[in-house]
Amino acid sequence: MVWGSMIAWYLFLAGASAGAFLTSAFVEAKYPDSVKMRVAGRIISPIFLGIGLLMLMLDAEAGLHNPLRFFYLIMNPGSVMTLGVYFICVFMPVSIAAALLEVLRRPVPKWLTWTGIVSAFCVAAYTGFLLGVVSAYPLWNNAILPVLFVVSALSAGLAATSLVGLITDRERFEQMWLIKKSHVILSAIEMVVLATMLIIVSSGSPEGAASVASLVSGQYAPMFWGGLVLLGLVAPFAIEGYPVFVTRKVETSTTSMVVSVIGEGGVLVGGFMLRLLVILAALPVLYL
Amino acid sequence: MARYGMLINTKKCVGCYACRVACQMVNGLESDEAFIKFDEMEQGAYPNVYAEVVPVQCMHCEDAPCEAVCPTHATYTTDSGVVLVDEERCIGCKYCMAACPYGARIQIKKTGVIEKCRFCWYEGEPGNPPRCVGTCISGARLFGDLDDPQSEICQEIARTNAQPLAGDLTTAKIYYVR
Amino acid sequence: MQEKEALMHCNPTRRTFLKGTAATAALAAVGTCSVAAWRAEQAEAAATGAAKIQGASLCNGCSSKCGLIATALDGRLWTVEGMKEHPYSKGTLCGRGHGAAQWAYSDGRLTQPMKRAADGSFVPISWDDALSEIGAKVQEIIAEAGPEALAIIQDPRPSGKYYSKRFMNALGSPNVYTHAAACNLSKESGIQEATGAQNFSVDFPNTKMVVFIGRSYGDGIRPSSVKSLAGAAEGGARVVIVDPRLNNTGVFATDWVPIRPGADIAFLLGIANVLVTRDLYDHAFVEQSAVGFPEFAAQVTEYTPEWAEGICDVPADTIVEIAESLAAAAPACAIEPSWRAAFGCAYQNSFETARAVCAVNALLGCWGQKGGALITSSPKAGDVDPVKFPEVPKPAAKRLGDAEYPLALSGTGTNLAVLNGCADGAIQGVFFYNSNAVQGYAQPAKWREALSQAKLVVTIDVQMSETALASDYVLPECTVLERLELPEFIGGKKHYVALRTPVIERIHPETRPCDEIFAGLAEACGVGEYFDFTVEELAEAQLASVGTSIEEVREAGIVELADPGFAFGTPTFKTPTEKFQFASAKVAEAGLNPVIGYVPRLVEPAEGEFSLIGGKQGIHSHTMTLNLEALNAISREYQLERLWMAASDAADLGIVDGDTVELSSSECSGQVAVKVTERLKPGVLFLPTHYGGTSPYLTRAQGFGLNMMDFVPLHLEPGVGSTMSQEVAVKVRKVEG
Repeated sequence: MVWGSMIAWYLFLAGASAGAFLTSAFVEAKYPDSVKMRVAGRIISPIFLGIGLLMLMLDAEAGLHNPLRFFYLIMNPGSVMTLGVYFICVFMPVSIAAALLEVLRRPVPKWLTWTGIVSAFCVAAYTGFLLGVVSAYPLWNNAILPVLFVVSALSAGLAATSLVGLITDRERFEQMWLIKKSHVILSAIEMVVLATMLIIVSSGSPEGAASVASLVSGQYAPMFWGGLVLLGLVAPFAIEGYPVFVTRKVETSTTSMVVSVIGEGGVLVGGFMLRLLVILAALPVLYL
Repeated sequence: MARYGMLINTKKCVGCYACRVACQMVNGLESDEAFIKFDEMEQGAYPNVYAEVVPVQCMHCEDAPCEAVCPTHATYTTDSGVVLVDEERCIGCKYCMAACPYGARIQIKKTGVIEKCRFCWYEGEPGNPPRCVGTCISGARLFGDLDDPQSEICQEIARTNAQPLAGDLTTAKIYYVR
Repeated sequence: MQEKEALMHCNPTRRTFLKGTAATAALAAVGTCSVAAWRAEQAEAAATGAAKIQGASLCNGCSSKCGLIATALDGRLWTVEGMKEHPYSKGTLCGRGHGAAQWAYSDGRLTQPMKRAADGSFVPISWDDALSEIGAKVQEIIAEAGPEALAIIQDPRPSGKYYSKRFMNALGSPNVYTHAAACNLSKESGIQEATGAQNFSVDFPNTKMVVFIGRSYGDGIRPSSVKSLAGAAEGGARVVIVDPRLNNTGVFATDWVPIRPGADIAFLLGIANVLVTRDLYDHAFVEQSAVGFPEFAAQVTEYTPEWAEGICDVPADTIVEIAESLAAAAPACAIEPSWRAAFGCAYQNSFETARAVCAVNALLGCWGQKGGALITSSPKAGDVDPVKFPEVPKPAAKRLGDAEYPLALSGTGTNLAVLNGCADGAIQGVFFYNSNAVQGYAQPAKWREALSQAKLVVTIDVQMSETALASDYVLPECTVLERLELPEFIGGKKHYVALRTPVIERIHPETRPCDEIFAGLAEACGVGEYFDFTVEELAEAQLASVGTSIEEVREAGIVELADPGFAFGTPTFKTPTEKFQFASAKVAEAGLNPVIGYVPRLVEPAEGEFSLIGGKQGIHSHTMTLNLEALNAISREYQLERLWMAASDAADLGIVDGDTVELSSSECSGQVAVKVTERLKPGVLFLPTHYGGTSPYLTRAQGFGLNMMDFVPLHLEPGVGSTMSQEVAVKVRKVEG
C-alpha cells in the first residue's frame, strides 16, 4: 500500500479538528453557557490539526529533509492536495486565533467563527476528495467517500469535544440534548453511508469487490467489524441512542458515565479505523 | 517536437531482468529499488499454456494522473512528452504513487523523493536509446518518436498492431505486443 | 554509444580524464540519466573534475565471458554495456551481467587471506604466512604421497585455466579438473565420441526447424543465442521445446513437448526410428561420412514411436510428426546440442542422449549444412618464448579418474574423482579456483566429509563460498573489473581474441589477481621458476603470437583474427575413424554399448514420488551469484527460489500457490514455498539450482531456498563420471500452519 497509518492519522485528525471546531460553534450558538465544552472544541481543533500536519510532514520524507519544499505545495491548484493546503491555510490560523481568544477569555468575532465554519467544512470534505479523485482505487474513487469522511469528521470532532465535556462539565453536558441527538443521528447516517459505499464499490468493479471483501470477510474483517462497525458505530449509537430516544432521561450514575466515555472513545477509534481501513484495503484496478 | 514513446514486445521477452539492473545502475538505485517491474502471466492449462513476462514501467501518459495530482508541480511533462520528476520540488507525499494506475513510481530511500522511469532523460534529451532498450538481449524493446511515421518504432507499432497495456486507464506512450 | 571513442580511455594506469563539463557532456552522449539521489553524489565530483574511465573487459557472470564496456566515474563503476563487436554479447548484456559487474562492491567479498583455526572458525592471516604454510604442506604431501596426491578443480576463466594447470603440472601432478562433471561433461563427451568435436552450433539464420532438448536460451542466457533464436523465430522457423517445463524460451517456441525427465533419449531414438524405418534419412551422409550405421539401423528398429511413448510419455503421433517435419526441413534443421540442462550431467543416460542427438542430426544429414548443425573451429595462442615462459614437463602419472571414466573429456576430467580420492586417501591436497564444488558439484555433505580427510584444502575465490568454508586456507582474489587476465580466444565461424582489462582500482588492497596468487603459491611450493613472468608479459606474448597486442585489443575491445575459412558442407569429423560415429570403439572399451542406443535413467520415481528437475534462472550462475545484492534482490522480490509444482499435482495434494512444503529424498529434506503452475508436466517438480546457501559469510544467500544437490545421492555416470544431478526421486508434503 502506498500510504500507511501516518496518513490515516492525518486524515483522521484533520477531520476531527474540523469537527471539533464545528462542534464548538454549534455549542456556542445553542448552549452559550456551556463554556468548557466550547473552549474544549476550540482548543482541540488546532491541536488535532497541528498533530495531523506533523504526521503528514513526517510521512513526506523528501520534504522533511528539505522543509522549504513545502512552500511548493501551493503550486498546483488542480491538485486536491494543493486545494487542501489552501483550506488549511485558512482554517489553521482561524482555529488558532479562536483558541487563543478563548484562552485569553476574549470574545471570538462572528466573522472569524463563520470563516472557521466554512473552512472547517472544506477541510473535512477535502480529506475525502483527496482519496476520492484517485481513479486507480475503486474503494476511494467514488462520490460517497467524501460524504462518509465529512460525516465521520463531524462525529469524531463531536466525540472528542464531548469527551472533554463529559469529564469536566458532566452536569451541563447531560442536558445538551441537541448535541446528543446529533451524535446518534451522525452515527446512524455514517452507518448508512458506509453500507451504501461498500455496496456500490463492491458492485462496481472486481478490484472494488476484492477491496470490500477484504474488509467484510478478509484479512481486515476483525478490524472492520470490531473496530469500525461495533466500537465506532453500533456501540456509540446504542449508548447515546438509548437515553436520548428510549428512556429520555438524564443519566447521572458513574456507570453511565463510564459507558458514555466508552461510546465517545469508540467514535474516535472508529474514526481512525475508517481512515486506516480505507487506506489499507484499497486495491488498484488491474492494468493487465 | 518529438513525442517519445516505447514499444515492448513481450513475445520476445525472456524475463532476464537486464533492463531492471541496467536501469538501476545508470540511475544509481539501490538493489531493491527498481523503475521496471515484471508481471508474469500464464494463460491456458497444461499442456496448452502460454507464458509471458510483461515488463512495466512509467508509461509517460499524455494525461499523466501523477502529474495532475502532484501538489508541488514536481512532476511535469517535457515538450517531447517525457514525464519527469523535479527532485528539487518533490516533498515525497506519495500522492503520485497513489494516482499511478501502473504502480510505476517508487520512493528513493536515501532522499524520500518519489521517482520513476524517465526514459534516461539527461541534460534535455532522453537516452538514445534509454538503457533498458540498449541492453535488451532479444531486441524486445524499441524507443523513438511516436510522431514520426517513418521512425522504426512507428513502423513496428503499425506492423505488430501494438497497443498500450490498458487503453482505458490512461493515454500511455508505451506500446505492447502481447 | 561510441565504443571506439570510449575505449580510447580504457587504461587506468594511463587514464584520460574528462573534466567538468566535458564529463557531463560525455554522460549525455552515452544517452544516460541520473536521478537526484545519484546525481547529488556525483555533483561534487563533477564540479571538481569528474573522471570518467571506460574500459573493455569480459563478463564474469557466467562462463560465456561476453565482451563488455565498463564505465567508471571517479573510479567507481557506474554502468556496463555489451560490446557490439563481441560475438556473444553483440551489444547487450543480460541481467546477470549487469549484476555481476557490481561484484567489486559486494559486502560479501573476501578482503584478506583467511585460515581455519583449530575451533573451525576462520581468522585472518597474512599473504606471506598463508603462502609459506601452504607451501610447506604441499612439500610434505609430495614427500609422503607424491605429487599425484595433489589436485586442482577450477571453473575455467582466461587466466585461471592457464595458471591452475601450469601450477599443478609444475608440482608434478596431472590432476587438473574443471567443473564439467557438474555441468556439460556428458553432453560434450557424447558429442565428441560421435563427431570428434565437443560442441556444435545451430545455423539459426538459415534454419527451418530446431528442436531443443531441455535447454533454454531464455534461462541459461548468452545474449547472442537469444538474438539468434529470436531472429529464427521471427523468420518463421519452427522451434520445438522438449522439456518437462515450459521454460522461458517458450516465447519463441512453436511447440512445447512436455516429456518425462530423463527420457529424452527415448524421444530421440523414436525420431531416429521413424527416419530410418520410413527411409527419411540422408543416405549419402550415412554411407559416405559415417561409420556404424548398419548396426545402428538394426538396433534402432526396436525403438518404435510407440515404444518411445511408453518411456518418455510423448505421444507416438507427436514423435512421428516431428520426425517427418525434420526430414522435410532437412538439412536446414537440427537438434540443438544443449549445455547442462537435461543431459549435461543429469542422468545415467546423459552421455548416450548426447550421442543420440548427434545421431538424429546425422540421419537428417544436417552436419555442416546451411541451417543445420555446424562444427566450427577455435583459435589458440601460438608458441611463446620458451626461455621466458618455460614449458612445464608433462606429469608422468595419469590423472586420477581417467582410468575409471575413460569417456570423460581430456580437457576437463571428472572432478568427482577428487571427492572419491579424498575419501580413500589418494588425494591429500586440493586446490579450488573459482569453483564452489562443495555446494554445486555433488552432495555438499559428501564433499565436506571428503575434504575433511584431506591434509590441505585451499580455495581461491572472491567470496567465502561453501567450498571456502570447507578449506584450510582461503585466498582472496580481486574481481574481474579490477584485473588484467590472459587473452580469451573465441571460436566460431570467425575467430576473435579479447581481453579482461582493469577498469577500476582494487577495492580491497589485500586481494590479488589469480596470476599473482598462483605465482605466489608456486614460489612457496618450490616451483617458482615456471612463473617468472607477469600476466602482462605473457598476455603480450600470446597476443603477439596471433599478430596483435594488448594495446590493440584494449583499444578495440576485441580483435578479429585470421579468417578460419569456414564453409558450409560436410565437415571433417575429428574422430579416430575420421567419420561420424554411430558406433565407437572407445565406448566399447569403456564397457558400454558401442552403438548409439537406449540407456534407461537410474532412479525411477515410485508411486507417490516425483521426479525432481533443476535448472538455471537467467539472473544467476550456479551458486556464485546468489549473494550479489542486485541479483539476490530480484530473487527475493519475485520469489524465484520457489519449487515449481504442476497445478494438477498441487490440487491433488491440497497445495495452493505460496504454500510451504517439505521436500524429501533418500538424502535429506527441507522446506520451501511452492509456485503452482500450468507450465510443468504433472509428476515433476522443478527446483532452480542456485539456492540454499549455507555460508554464514554470505548473508543474503544463506538459508534462502533449497540446494538441489543436497537431495541427490552421490553417484557417478558410467563412462564419463558426471554427477547425475537429476537422478533422484522425491516426496513432497504440505507443511501445515
